[in-house]
Amino acid sequence: MPEKLDVQQGTLALMILKTLEGLGPLHGYGVARRIEETSKNRLTLNYGTLYPALLKLEQEGFVTAEWRQSENNRRAKYYTLTAAGRKQLAREARDWQRTTELIAAFFVPRQDAR
Amino acid sequence: MRYLRALAARIAGLFGRGRADQDLRDELEAHLEMETADNVRRGMAPAVARRQALLASGGVIQATEAVRDQRGLPWVENLAADIRYALRALRHSPAFTGVVVLTLALGIGANTAIYSVVRGVLLKPLPHRDGERLLYLRQSTDGPNGANVRFSVPEVRELRDGVTSLADMAEYSPWFGTLRLDDGAVRIDLALVTGNFFDILGLAPIAGRLTSPSDDGTGAPPVMVLSHDYWMKRFGGDPGIVGKQVRLESASVTVIGVVEPAPWFPDRVDALANMVVSPHHLSAQMVQDRSHRMTETIARLAPGASLAQARAEAAAVYARGQRDHPAAYDAGSHFRVAVLPFKDALGERARLTVWLLMAVAGFVMIIAVANVVNLTLMRGVRRDHEIVVRAALGAGTARLRRLLLVENLVLTGLGAALGVVIAVAGLGLLISVAERYSPRAGEIRLDLAALGFTMALSLTVALLLSFLASLPKEGSPTFASRVASGARRLSMGRAGQRLQRGMVVAQVAASVMLLAGAGLLTRTTLRLSAVGTGLQTEDVLTLPVPLLDPSKLDPASDGATKAVYDQLQREVRALPGVLEVGVGSTMPLRTSALAFDLKVEGRPPVVGEATPRADFRTASPEYFAAAGIPLLEGRPFATTDQPGSGRVVIINETLARQLFPGQSPIGKRIALGGEVLRFTPFSGDWRTVVGVVGTTQDGGLDAAPRGVVFSPFATEFTIFGGLVIRTDRNAEALAAAATRIVRRIAPTAPIADVLTVAQIKDQSVSPRRLNAALVSSFALLAVLIAAVGIGGVLAFSVSARTNEIGIRMSLGADRGRVRRMILREGGSLLAIGLAIGVVGGLLAAQVIRGLLFGVATDDPVTFAAVIAVMAAVGIGACWIPARRAAGIDPTTAMRA
Repeated sequence: MPEKLDVQQGTLALMILKTLEGLGPLHGYGVARRIEETSKNRLTLNYGTLYPALLKLEQEGFVTAEWRQSENNRRAKYYTLTAAGRKQLAREARDWQRTTELIAAFFVPRQDAR
Repeated sequence: MRYLRALAARIAGLFGRGRADQDLRDELEAHLEMETADNVRRGMAPAVARRQALLASGGVIQATEAVRDQRGLPWVENLAADIRYALRALRHSPAFTGVVVLTLALGIGANTAIYSVVRGVLLKPLPHRDGERLLYLRQSTDGPNGANVRFSVPEVRELRDGVTSLADMAEYSPWFGTLRLDDGAVRIDLALVTGNFFDILGLAPIAGRLTSPSDDGTGAPPVMVLSHDYWMKRFGGDPGIVGKQVRLESASVTVIGVVEPAPWFPDRVDALANMVVSPHHLSAQMVQDRSHRMTETIARLAPGASLAQARAEAAAVYARGQRDHPAAYDAGSHFRVAVLPFKDALGERARLTVWLLMAVAGFVMIIAVANVVNLTLMRGVRRDHEIVVRAALGAGTARLRRLLLVENLVLTGLGAALGVVIAVAGLGLLISVAERYSPRAGEIRLDLAALGFTMALSLTVALLLSFLASLPKEGSPTFASRVASGARRLSMGRAGQRLQRGMVVAQVAASVMLLAGAGLLTRTTLRLSAVGTGLQTEDVLTLPVPLLDPSKLDPASDGATKAVYDQLQREVRALPGVLEVGVGSTMPLRTSALAFDLKVEGRPPVVGEATPRADFRTASPEYFAAAGIPLLEGRPFATTDQPGSGRVVIINETLARQLFPGQSPIGKRIALGGEVLRFTPFSGDWRTVVGVVGTTQDGGLDAAPRGVVFSPFATEFTIFGGLVIRTDRNAEALAAAATRIVRRIAPTAPIADVLTVAQIKDQSVSPRRLNAALVSSFALLAVLIAAVGIGGVLAFSVSARTNEIGIRMSLGADRGRVRRMILREGGSLLAIGLAIGVVGGLLAAQVIRGLLFGVATDDPVTFAAVIAVMAAVGIGACWIPARRAAGIDPTTAMRA
């Protein structure tokens, strides 16, 4: 089993937004499940990490929350991506891409070093 | 942008916690159920499924806390909780809270109010343009009433032309008149000014215009500028008054404007007019006679010139003037001129009193702060157990310190809030007091800087106290022992004890100094009240009735004027209860408006000796009897005393002793003299002294006795006049009836200052009395606080030493010995405080010497009384703890 990673607050927000973009409105459990799957169980989220992050996104206006009936006829709070959230997602994805490229450049083996 | 939105959301999140918490609970529970259901689907038993879900959740309670922190503003909520706790804790110790809040409030309030007065009266810049460069000149001589003898017009002009450091000088002449309005005649205090007056003063009009050089000279129409106060008071602030004509005496004067609010000096002024309003002021006498001194003057420094330069040049010009005109300056009087900044002149009378109040407030602050420190230290020790328990339960040092800080801040906050109330109330009181002393009383405002400063001071004290307390640190070696000693730990460290003792000594010293000040001022008031007025009774009503138009000194109209006074005298005499009515130019205990040089027959003036000078008054034959002035020698005036049969005068005892020491003045002859005489209606003929009357304290009980010459009322030109009424019943009750008679017979005369002699005397004493009252109340308060301080500290010490006392007693010390031991502890603090206080008091008394009367600055009676009072109070405060110590049962004490 690959070792578990600690998740940073900022990256968790990105993951949540991406999840909601892909799967549409989802409740907290669904978001946690999806993130764990995507990370191939290398990340586990406890409530104390997930729910404050969801609340922060709601406070910043990137998601909205409302109580709905879930598939099993249970009442659950569903989070939906907003237009601002979509924009933020695009922005952060771009930043993340740039950062990755930058760091990766340091680790490319140098062809001209003999 | 999102930060703002997030912040707004978090602020909103501070409210509606209950519903949000319920919401969260539901959400988390839903998550748990869903996970449990999934686990069951994966094959776990329901109970195991749920347990797994719970484990994976990482703790519902922790999650709830985490969400709560994100939801609101945690530090705000913590602060709110701390404040709530602090208030609850303070409510549980009402005595502590009450005393601390009260003493802080008093310190803050008193200091703010008093400093606001200091600022308004002494420190604030003048409203005049470039007020710093405004100067006031004053001419004075030796002797009574020599403090300000004013200038003559030639003297002013000479200085103006000769002193180049002065850009310009203006003349203004205090005058008075009667304003005839629709609702009657009122007296108006005027100043007659030259055209450059307002320009030099640097004031602007708030309506109309001010006088200018075009209003100078005999050809200019009479115009008047109203002072701001008078405009509001008399005309209700109506701008329509500008351009209207008012009747001043018999002339019509146009009101051309209203000047902005400003302090007037040296006398209060209702309106300022140009010189033409009074023909006398443009007469040859006024303009040419060097010894006719009726003018005040203000000046402005020329650009680039300094006060020192102006002073030097003025002294030179003045000296030359004295040399060139020796007749106007008799050598014995030592004429001199002083040049002061106008601002200083305004503050002269108030300065000493105001600084006194400032010192008093400062002391109160010291005492208040000392008290707060002591009480907090003691309370801190009592709470030590509670703090230790909190620390054991997991509160970190920072959290504990924040707790203490919030509590101290709440305390000082309450004190400051109450302090503001006291400051505002106190300021109102002080302003009404300040009006007697300073023309600038109207400028006093609540000084926010002072308020801020005193509050900051209290805040600093609060902060210091929070950090003084030693907080238990987990893992430190003393921690365990502190927990173990539990609730019985009741002493503070060495440093704390020394601080406490220091505070007590400071309190005692400050209280002693305040008491000393209060004692000296109170004795001053008593001495002043005890000064004999020189009158035999104080139940005499005085009623000034000014009938004369002072711009018309016309002998022909005098007969009619005299007739009016006669009629007044007769009718008032007929009122029930009136024993005697006299008519005179000056009311008893008032200063005379007229004074002249005197010549004594057979005694030519000696060069270098001061020319004798005396106040000049007129009196009817009944005057002395009515006023209660005792006749010491000779006879009173009689109706047979007419100018034709040789002029007669009565002199008072002071003058008799001055002019004829060791002899009887009866039959000797004196005459009025001086250059100015020929411009007055009074004759320089020789007059025979026919009687000597007792000296009265005119012009104030603390003034030096003055020489007075009385001439018969009937034979002199009437300038001033009034009634003196002796009654066998309450003199005040007669005022209404007498005033009605005057209004009927002389409707054009402005009536004011209808007072009994007792009331006039009181006016002289009341400023000192007020000083004494203020300082005394503060002093008593201080003593009280100091007593509480000593008693509290000592009681505390006894509690801490219970164990030790038990041991001593079991070793053979009896109750008396224990009591003495405690008393000695308190007594030593008291003694040190007393010593410092007495030394400080002696020094401080030097500073307020100017406010004392008849009392030396090191008055032994006062200081002895102060020491006795403080010692008694102090020992009394120590007595209870000492008795409690003596009552300790040794067995229980040692077991504790």
